[in-house]
Amino acid sequence: MTHPLSHERIMAEAERIKALGETAEREARDPVNQPTINNWLEAMGNDNARFRAGAAPPSMAQVWTMYGQGGKPSEDDPLHGMMEVLTAEGFTAVLGTNCEQTYERYLKVGEQLRVTTALESVVGPKQTAMGEGYFVTSRNTWYVADEVVATMLFRVLKFIPKGAK
Amino acid sequence: MKTGDRIPAWEVPITPTLVVSTAIATRDFQDVHHDRDLAQHHGSKDIFMNILTSTGLVERFVTDWAGHDTDVKGIAIRLGAPAYPYDALTFTGEVSSVDDGIATIDVKGAVSLGDHVVGTVRVSTGSIAGGAA
Repeated sequence: MTHPLSHERIMAEAERIKALGETAEREARDPVNQPTINNWLEAMGNDNARFRAGAAPPSMAQVWTMYGQGGKPSEDDPLHGMMEVLTAEGFTAVLGTNCEQTYERYLKVGEQLRVTTALESVVGPKQTAMGEGYFVTSRNTWYVADEVVATMLFRVLKFIPKGAK
Repeated sequence: MKTGDRIPAWEVPITPTLVVSTAIATRDFQDVHHDRDLAQHHGSKDIFMNILTSTGLVERFVTDWAGHDTDVKGIAIRLGAPAYPYDALTFTGEVSSVDDGIATIDVKGAVSLGDHVVGTVRVSTGSIAGGAA
């Protein structure tokens, strides 16, 4: 079982990070662009002509603000921060469990995106098939200028792998 | 589109090339999606498909059936069994509701180990709204 003091520390940090709200804002490396769309279409085998005529695939929203090779979350990133807290308490393993994306509209080639991250909730400890862990949910919001164009709720299980002490 | 409409099953052979090319095309450079040695070192059987690709394939599955002009409003998935190379990912789907111009489609993607993704896709049943095309 999770030590009561450990649980207290985890939940105190969760409250502190949640209170930061939408933070760790960052810009997409590149504007929405056709070559990146084309690579994605080829890899996915998607032949939708709409995506060769100025629109970007909606499920690419997250692609534009990926960290890329060697990129890392900033120290003030809420999800990263919560992961570090749980790792320090022995919850070393991570598994994505839910991803809920909402698209307000399709993006257009040439648009510049930025994204923010907020910690939505931390729930646990729970006994799962993977081991004991906490469910950590973050919310990303993508903007073009001040317009919200997409959001994502992303949940991971941060757990103590079975057999680990 | 009406409640109860079924989308014909779509089987995607999972090859190492699919896993690697989609990981890179989604700008996801985590080693477990392209380096088998490191994936196995981390305790995984092999490299495995990333979440952005599972979502992208769900989008394609629904829009190839509903029509390329269909506006996707949201994709919500729960993740289960990993999609490893040399397995197949089979999508099935059914319209669960149509309300106020929005259809909700239940989608499942199964691999030999069980359900890889289970979720819902919301699409607009009207003409393109706010589209860039």
